[in-house]
Amino acid sequence: MNKFFATRALILSWCVALIIPAAHAQLMPGTTQEIFKQFSEHVVKIEVVETSSAAKASTGTGFFADNSGRVVTNYHVISKLVHSPERYRIDVIDVAGGTTVGTVLGVDVVYDLAILRTHRQPKGHLVFESKPVAQGTRLYSLGHPRDLGLSIVEGTHNGLLKHTLYPKVHFTGSLNPGMSGGPTLTQDGKVVGINVATEGNQISFLVPAERAMALLDKTAKGEMPPPASFLADVGRQIHDNQSRYLAGMFDAKTPRVVLAPYDLPTKPAEFFRCWADAFRRKELPYVSVTHDCSTDDYIFVSSEQSSGIVRFYHQLLSTSELNPARFFTLYSAQLQGGNAAMFGNEEEVTPFRCQTRNVATANGKLKGVLCARQYIKLPNLYDAVFRAATLGSRNAGLVSTLSLSGVSFDNVQALSRRYMENLKWQR
Amino acid sequence: MAALGYIEILDGKGGVSERIAVDGFPVTLGRAYGNQVILSDPFVCPLHLKIVQDEQGRLLASDLDSVNGFYPVSGNARVAQSELQSGSQFRIGHTTLRYVSVDHPLAPTQVDGAVKVMPLASPYAAVILGAVLVLLLCLESYLSSVERVTVAKIIGDTWVTVSMLATWAGMWALTSRIVVSRFNFARHVTIACLALLTISALGLVAEWAEFFLPWIPLLWIAGVFGYGLVLAGLVYGHLGSASLLRRRSRLWAAAAVSLIVVGTSAISDFAARSKFSTIMEYTGVVKPIAAAWVPATSVDEFVASADKLKMELDALTKKAKALQ
Repeated sequence: MNKFFATRALILSWCVALIIPAAHAQLMPGTTQEIFKQFSEHVVKIEVVETSSAAKASTGTGFFADNSGRVVTNYHVISKLVHSPERYRIDVIDVAGGTTVGTVLGVDVVYDLAILRTHRQPKGHLVFESKPVAQGTRLYSLGHPRDLGLSIVEGTHNGLLKHTLYPKVHFTGSLNPGMSGGPTLTQDGKVVGINVATEGNQISFLVPAERAMALLDKTAKGEMPPPASFLADVGRQIHDNQSRYLAGMFDAKTPRVVLAPYDLPTKPAEFFRCWADAFRRKELPYVSVTHDCSTDDYIFVSSEQSSGIVRFYHQLLSTSELNPARFFTLYSAQLQGGNAAMFGNEEEVTPFRCQTRNVATANGKLKGVLCARQYIKLPNLYDAVFRAATLGSRNAGLVSTLSLSGVSFDNVQALSRRYMENLKWQR
Repeated sequence: MAALGYIEILDGKGGVSERIAVDGFPVTLGRAYGNQVILSDPFVCPLHLKIVQDEQGRLLASDLDSVNGFYPVSGNARVAQSELQSGSQFRIGHTTLRYVSVDHPLAPTQVDGAVKVMPLASPYAAVILGAVLVLLLCLESYLSSVERVTVAKIIGDTWVTVSMLATWAGMWALTSRIVVSRFNFARHVTIACLALLTISALGLVAEWAEFFLPWIPLLWIAGVFGYGLVLAGLVYGHLGSASLLRRRSRLWAAAAVSLIVVGTSAISDFAARSKFSTIMEYTGVVKPIAAAWVPATSVDEFVASADKLKMELDALTKKAKALQ
């Protein structure tokens, strides 16, 4: 089960960029060339440089958003500097190869955006599209895929996604690593979105332009906050963002699914995607039915840490062949097996600590396990896994797991409670 | 001529390593071959000590101007002469000796320990316990399998344990043959079977106890302390049949082996816990029993007890921040 989850998370890796123009695209002769020629000088390459070795640690793309030299890019492009400002610097390289040092003016970790300031007066800047863009509109994305030089990728606007934590633009075009933070333009050269992620096969995502405009407004005063304060700001933004998507989750209105004899919560919000399957094999004397719901999206915190993921997983085990002692060997192993597929390192998170109790809910008894770990650099944020196994039956059992990342401990407790109370037996 | 008494040469633990009959006095002790008691101790003079009997029948030991002297064990001072009673110990050079007269009182005869545990020492015990263990292993193999089981699989699983047990008992039997000249194989089998059965029972009890009281890490406690005790019992039992060690020595040996093994596993457990990991470690034993029989807390209590978890994590975070 964790492999499945990890694979999907991996596919949704935070990379960005372009490369292969769609073979079936109906090119208007000269248009792409003209767009590239006209707007490429507003696009910059961003290099995060490790200062002691003077070598680049990561690269991305950005673009000038006003005449004062402010540059828009992704938070994940410059996150190394946010986490360790003493170890990195940002080089902003224009199309002619001129390099200037960029400083961070502000970040929005939820929408994966950052505003940099450079001391270079740009020749011009890009403007944002303020009108809604229709599905099917041809778009042009600019960026530095895999550090191969500035490239332009054609694609189409395919509306706003509903299953993400916030509406992202679905861009049908090939973004590739290194294009993160680059602009995606209409034929008029107006920015509709900022390159942010890809799932491969021309399925790519953009942060809507209005989010960048909002962050530009917030940083309009141009006051430079101290570098160390950004991490606290990142923590605060993740903290504040929780209320938006966790409020009411697993309340009485949550849709239900029946995995007889259990009545269970499913798809609590639009931004969840649910899958189900049954595992029946002739050589096995039991049946396993699974129901898995997860947010498809997450907030990039650092290369080894992500936040904002909510996932829950029901596994119903039943048998008509195994005696209770053998069935419970299997059932215990399922309850104890598997980890949460939560990665991390010693600098960013504590190890997990767990508690186990037999719990009597209004619906029945279950064995409840709550494991949690704390973020070290970001204040008051936790990853948590609540796992329950129903008790009382001799030949059927449900192991249900809820995992949360980057939430307050109050939310860990509140959601564990609501989730537990939502695990019901059919009457 | 009947012996009047004996001079006993004692080993380091007070046991008799050699006994020389005394037919009459005077008796001389030393390295020279002309002595009645010849000692091959380089710290003893060729003619070191002489024991004479005076007119009253008292025995007097006199130092014959030796280099290293004569020391009655009752006192640490070197003396030129000392009276010997039956049972008196004395030291010359590095050798401790004792004089006993033929009418020296004896300690009561000890009851042989093996006789007391006769039922377990019998070969029948090994056969019965072995059979019980084989049945239990078959049952465990069957119950722990969540796939369709075959007789071959159960026999295979059981055979592995049985052959390991036989090898273990065989090694002890060989040791017994070397040290006490008897194999005592059945006894070693009995002891090993008892240990395995105890571990099985302990595991079962701990599992059920942990299912009912999940906040106490009973499986861990049983794993460390319970198995430590079983191991100590195992070593104590085997040494009883494979050595001439006294009970106290066997207890010390058993305690030492058990402490080393338990200590090593506790240290490695601690080291593993101190090392950073993204794995969640928790107890998750469930048992097939009617829900009404399971003691349970309320949802409120479960959520409230998570406060302790938070405190633990806060402390870990504080520690991690201090290290950075």
